[in-house]
Amino acid sequence: MSTDDTQEAREQLIDLAAQFYDQFELGEIPHMSVPTRTKNNIEYDEEMDVWVYGDRESTRSANSVRGARKLLKAIYTIEFLSEQLEEDRSSTLRELYYLSESWDNNEAQFNDQDESNSMVEDLEIVSGVTREDFHMRPEESGATIMGPLFLREQTRRGEREIHCQEDVGEGGYQIPNNPDTIEFLDNDADFILAVETGGMRDRLVENGFDEEYNALIVHLKGQPARATRRITKRLHDELGLPVTVFTDGDPWSYRIYGSVAYGSIKSAHLSEYLATPEADFIGIQPADIVEYDLPSDPLSDSDVNALESELEDPRFQTDYWEEQIELQLDLGKKSEQQSLAARGLDFVTDTYLPDRLDDMGVL
Amino acid sequence: MTSFQSTLGEDAGIAEELAESQQSISIAEFFEKNKHMLGFDSGARGLVTAVKEAVDNALDAAEESGILPDIYVEIQEAGDYYRLIVEDNGPGLTKESLPKVFGKLLYGSRFHAREQSRGQQGIGISAAVLYAQLTSGKPAKITSRTQGSEEAEYFELIVDTDNNEPEISVEETTTWDRPHGTRIELEMEANMRARQQLHDYIKHTAVVNPHARLELREPQEHFKFERATDQLPEETEEIRPHPHGVELGTVMKMLAATDSQTVSGFVQEEFTRVGKKTAESIIDEFRDRHYGREMRWRPPASHEAVDLHAAVEDATANKGADATAAFADAVAEAVADADRIAHHELVAAVESAAEAVEDDHGTTFGDTVRENAVEAVWLELIDAVEADDSDESEGDVDSRLVADLYDLADDATSTRKDDAVIDAFADRLAAKFEDELEGGDEDDGNVRHRLTHKRLRDHVDRAADLTEEYDDVSFGETARENVTDAIWDVMATVPDDPPLVRELDGDRDATSNLVDAMRGTDIMAPPTRCLAPISEDLITAGLEKEFDADFYASATRDAGVSGGDPFIVEAGIAYGGDLPAEGTGEVMRFANRVPLVYQRGACATTDVVKSIGWRNYGLDQPGGSGLPNGPVVIMVHVASTNVPFTSESKDAVANVPEIEDEIELAIREAARELKSYLNKRRSMQQRRKKQNVLGKILPEMAEKVAEVTGREEPDIDDAIARIMNNVLVERHTEANGDGTAVSVVVENNSSTNESLEVTDIVSAEPRNLSDGATVVEMDGEWFVKWEPEVSSDDEAALEYEIPDDATFDLDVKGVESEKLTVKQ
Repeated sequence: MSTDDTQEAREQLIDLAAQFYDQFELGEIPHMSVPTRTKNNIEYDEEMDVWVYGDRESTRSANSVRGARKLLKAIYTIEFLSEQLEEDRSSTLRELYYLSESWDNNEAQFNDQDESNSMVEDLEIVSGVTREDFHMRPEESGATIMGPLFLREQTRRGEREIHCQEDVGEGGYQIPNNPDTIEFLDNDADFILAVETGGMRDRLVENGFDEEYNALIVHLKGQPARATRRITKRLHDELGLPVTVFTDGDPWSYRIYGSVAYGSIKSAHLSEYLATPEADFIGIQPADIVEYDLPSDPLSDSDVNALESELEDPRFQTDYWEEQIELQLDLGKKSEQQSLAARGLDFVTDTYLPDRLDDMGVL
Repeated sequence: MTSFQSTLGEDAGIAEELAESQQSISIAEFFEKNKHMLGFDSGARGLVTAVKEAVDNALDAAEESGILPDIYVEIQEAGDYYRLIVEDNGPGLTKESLPKVFGKLLYGSRFHAREQSRGQQGIGISAAVLYAQLTSGKPAKITSRTQGSEEAEYFELIVDTDNNEPEISVEETTTWDRPHGTRIELEMEANMRARQQLHDYIKHTAVVNPHARLELREPQEHFKFERATDQLPEETEEIRPHPHGVELGTVMKMLAATDSQTVSGFVQEEFTRVGKKTAESIIDEFRDRHYGREMRWRPPASHEAVDLHAAVEDATANKGADATAAFADAVAEAVADADRIAHHELVAAVESAAEAVEDDHGTTFGDTVRENAVEAVWLELIDAVEADDSDESEGDVDSRLVADLYDLADDATSTRKDDAVIDAFADRLAAKFEDELEGGDEDDGNVRHRLTHKRLRDHVDRAADLTEEYDDVSFGETARENVTDAIWDVMATVPDDPPLVRELDGDRDATSNLVDAMRGTDIMAPPTRCLAPISEDLITAGLEKEFDADFYASATRDAGVSGGDPFIVEAGIAYGGDLPAEGTGEVMRFANRVPLVYQRGACATTDVVKSIGWRNYGLDQPGGSGLPNGPVVIMVHVASTNVPFTSESKDAVANVPEIEDEIELAIREAARELKSYLNKRRSMQQRRKKQNVLGKILPEMAEKVAEVTGREEPDIDDAIARIMNNVLVERHTEANGDGTAVSVVVENNSSTNESLEVTDIVSAEPRNLSDGATVVEMDGEWFVKWEPEVSSDDEAALEYEIPDDATFDLDVKGVESEKLTVKQ
């Protein structure tokens, strides 16, 4: 992070405040327009190969009491962020929420963290500055990398050079909040394997899958944090490694894959920077449930709704996904990654993954 | 038993003995014992009733003579008793009528009049006199002065209960300061426990009689209710009775008294809304009921072996072949042309055929020939020709009546009924028609098949019963009714002349038929000039006068009719202001402008108010039914020539569906206005709330924005006016040579057009006023008046010039303060 960037981010924020000022002066109703962040308002950007926001906008306007409160909160947040940048400090999203309690104006305080998070997203979109450049970070997600990768991380306490197999414990290398502070030095990796659950990641590490297949095992920890997606994107773009995603076989997990590959709906303004459209889905595919006769649970009503809503999600409107989702709706079943253990602890590393990766042309 | 019997037998004089103790009772004596019937059941109530009766009379008397009523009521404590004094400025009573009005029950001018008035029976005030004399033993003291007379008459009298006549103890002339009017003073056993009802009565009377001035002085309090209008209620006109509202006894009396000769004249003369046409309809209905209708049978179809031509020829003797044939042709043709034909229609057809043939052939067709022809054809039509001995299978062939009735019955009953069942039924019903030949008063029975509706129904019932019995099927009430109606519909009203009035007079059955006929005829609703509704404006004025509320609404319905009496329902609602916000709302009930203060629960008005879902109209109603809660007064006025009360004491309107419906509609009409008022108020409240919140947030936001950007605080008034969709009135001043140019700009940000009244008070004389503005000088100040109409999202400007150093003061009206932002 250069001071220039910091200065620019600050200027962007103050411009935003000035915009409100001018609106007041012109006798206009102060307002701020942001793209609507719903799945109905994302569209495919053919040039970038990612999903970005469409033309629909929602306006936060002082016309209503609610809108006015929102704008008041926005200007307080702008003040806070610009002060933070001036002092070159940083804070977490959660800290922002608690910090608002100290503001002198009750109306400006956030009611919950969702509200402050979405305010930061609004400001990101409107100012065109990412939240990392506002020096806002999420809580540590604790996502890790394990594999043949040598890198240098710029920490607040100086540079560290780390090999992600040799210099780390079984837990692996922890991805920092701003992966842009990392420089890749060397690697022996053939591909990236992003894994949803901790249990499966530990199984792969225990079975030595990373060593045997030269895989970089990225632990997604559920819905991946921005940093996890960003580093995955960088590993793909800068080192030319194919990306594969291994999750449970249920609708919620497909969304995890979706956010790695196409970007998430909430951060579609950053898709270009976070999404790896070339990422491939390994499984568990609905077809695998049949093929490997995996232990399964019946789909709940909310699962069915989620699947049906995915059929309408523009990100999933490909032949592959439509086929898989419809198959799953027919089956009425879902399976977890770890259900592969039904065929023995080594089945996943000895059979399932090699077979699938072979099919996909990764191996 | 036997012993008792024998005792009776032995003592033959007991009936006589009993008879000795039987005697007639005077009406006064009756009410003496039944005081509660007239509202004098307790001392508390007796006082209220006495006030009510006296005030009602006073109002009626003054209004009738076109005088604006001015009524004074005083209640004094007089030892163990209470003294009631009621004075009015009415026309006064003559020396002759005064004692009877106050000292005789059931004496009055109103009982027979169909006209809206407060009193009706002529019981009220004399009952009060009776009550006073019974409880205190003191006579009523009455003073009355008629307009223009030098002196007033003074009476002291009581009601002689034995013969219901006034008994005068003092009769003298006296002086009185009122130029005309009546004063009554009664002393009675009473108490003031019903003080609240008394106040209610007076106050409510003031509400519905905004043209009256009322004053009440009682031992503890003193009220004055001033007039809200000088407009007397419209004078009512007496109307004749409406045919739908009279009873048999009344009609019998009217028949005895009328000058008319004919029924037609009678109904046109004596009743309202009956003209020539309606009279005819009534007479037709009367004929149907009195004489019955004649069955119309279908003429024979071509395939039937009925030769009417031959029948006529056979019946006509010695008239020459040509004439006979022509006659037969004409008759047969006339019959065949008819859809159906009744006996009297056949008679008419034969008459005209005979006359036509007489003209053409010069042969005379006398009455006998005509009658023979009618009989021959009719018997053919009803299949009643005496059977030839040679006819082999007469018993098995169904009469042609059966086929006719079969079709009628088949159409009238549900399709589920078996053909065979209908056929059996038609067969039995036809037999009943055939039986008519044997019965009846005439020599050859009721050959004309003339039946009243009732007799027809009896036949249908009998035939249906037999069918049920023998064919083991059900032939229900509805089916019977439908069949009866279907047959009745094809039957023809007979042309017989109705009896003359003198024939009807005394004939109870025939008169009863006439009353039924009148009720069965559609007749226009009675005219409403006999009613004097208060009118919407005056209801509002009355409510405004007595209740300090925020909102008033009223509704007057069009007249309706119930039992021949026209009625009008009016409703009013007052809301908010100083009305008590706690507890249930108040319901004020009125009948013919008289407040009803007792028996609230038994009154149709209360029932209707309770049945309305007040939540729909923005009022609080616990449980969604019952009286609404909150600061609301609901008033209902029922005006009628005969308000149906639940009892003689006239406390509650009876539950008559027609009246209840109108009450509901009237209340709903007023309630709709209340709703839109409440909605508007609510939206203004929201607007105020929004303005309060935004009025806090936006300046804070502006302050913060200024802080972050490091600039001066921005001016946010314009933005706020826009946000609130407000009307912004803003003054701009600009130096202009040696003076100042002033412009007052109105910017309408609301979604509706706004009309404003802008007054700018300037301390120097304004020049070059823009169009539409006027200026008036007053004590060194100039009032610039300007009344622009600004449409939504538009602007208008007032411009003028003044010398330097002037002060301004802007005053804007015409826009709710919540919607207005004024910047001086």
